[in-house]
Amino acid sequence: MGSVSRRIMPLLVAVLLAGCNGVGTDLSPSGADRRPPVTPGTTGPSVGQIAPDFTLPDTLGDNVALSTSLPGRKGVVLYFTMWCVICGDEMSHMRSAIMPAHPDVGFFAIDYVSGTVADARASELSNGFANSGFTVLVDLGNPVLHAYAATMGTTVVIDNTGIVRMNENYGTGSRLQAILGGL
Amino acid sequence: MDAPGKPTRTLILAALLLGAASLIPPPVLAGSCCGGGGGAALILPKGNKALVDLTLEMEKYDGFWNQDGKHIDDPAGSDLRQYRLTLGTAARLASRWQASLAVPYVWNHNRYSGNVSSSDGLGDSTLSLWYEALDDLSIWKLKSLKDLTPSVLIGPSLTIPTGISPYDDRTSSFDVTGRGFYRLDGNLQVDKTFRPFTASVALGYGRYLERAVNKEYGRYVEPYHKRLGNRTSASASLGYIAVLGTGGDQLTGTASISYIDEEDGTRNGETDPTSEFRKTSVGGALLWSGTDRDWSVKASWNHAIQAQGWGENFPTTDVYGIGVRYGFR
Repeated sequence: MGSVSRRIMPLLVAVLLAGCNGVGTDLSPSGADRRPPVTPGTTGPSVGQIAPDFTLPDTLGDNVALSTSLPGRKGVVLYFTMWCVICGDEMSHMRSAIMPAHPDVGFFAIDYVSGTVADARASELSNGFANSGFTVLVDLGNPVLHAYAATMGTTVVIDNTGIVRMNENYGTGSRLQAILGGL
Repeated sequence: MDAPGKPTRTLILAALLLGAASLIPPPVLAGSCCGGGGGAALILPKGNKALVDLTLEMEKYDGFWNQDGKHIDDPAGSDLRQYRLTLGTAARLASRWQASLAVPYVWNHNRYSGNVSSSDGLGDSTLSLWYEALDDLSIWKLKSLKDLTPSVLIGPSLTIPTGISPYDDRTSSFDVTGRGFYRLDGNLQVDKTFRPFTASVALGYGRYLERAVNKEYGRYVEPYHKRLGNRTSASASLGYIAVLGTGGDQLTGTASISYIDEEDGTRNGETDPTSEFRKTSVGGALLWSGTDRDWSVKASWNHAIQAQGWGENFPTTDVYGIGVRYGFR
């Protein structure tokens, strides 16, 4: 190995390691359960907490409130979408594999990237989710995104007493299926 | 160059079909929704002890293929981009062994009509080891079948999850610059120069290592084990080498086609039916190299064809790249 090689490789490895320390990447991930305890009766996005109430317009401009959507249902599902490839795939999977088994659950897709109701409606149509079983709600200014500490693919289940039962990535959909089955 | 006979024409045609991937970075998952990083292939030419490469790429998102292969536009008014500055190096370890390391730094810029985000961080890094199994004797004129021997390199590479993944502390998918998984690949690179043509093919097969997950976007969740699907990649290209003036500078133009496929991943051993994807893209590159071949400068473009059938469950993007490379002798 030449002297040039001996100088360059360690330099690059040093850059790599320095970067790792700076960014806080997870090179040796842990499987420990570190979910913090939740105080019952508090309002928040975590499982066991009271779900934050909200009122958002749907893509036809009608306001929809969480509190008035729960009565008469076993619960509701919130799915946070930015109309990306993963979002479309997971919404399609939910539509075909989960919705038919749970007609007494409300399914809301929360669009947190559109700046107007008209933009959200256009995305709903172009992505093929008009009359799909999802009610698309437009999270203008992202209050609901923040209230539920959500991001792309976050899936929230709220039971009919207003308690958060699930708040995590959609994954394979099996967790959602199991939790809805237990409502 | 002499007019080739029929056998030679057949061999050249075969070489054209094989194509030159070393100039074109393999397609990588990138962007706000899917992670990013990765770098161009870093192959050390014979006679070089080491090289350093700096490449800047801009990936512009323009919709995606859905799971049925149909192209869907991004939301109206959106502008989604990722910039990657990749520092790479390769070094000769022994006469037929070389190693390389590529470390990208990534900037995400996402603008929707109702949401604007910018973030940056390291992407996933790649460490590669190559064994030079055969040497290409670059030729102008075919004299024997031996002259058709291509260069053949084989070796493993390891993707290191140095990027920001959905399983780190960042709370937004817009911040993602990596996938969060180690991946071990087996790689084959075949190159042949028959002046003024050059052709190559690159094949890869990778397996992600399973990892534990107890956190998603900064929030702790019930722990589970996850593994991404096995990945197959192939690219082929054809180049033409033009000698500039009388000084010996060269300009090589290359056209390429690339394919990548990733199988469904698993979560606690259960198949994730939403995760498989595939993508086919085409590209072009120009590479200038000086007379002594120490310095080279490249410009590249990779384009995902949005027509149905060219991809599935994957963003369609254009990737523009410029880079400079210096080889130590």
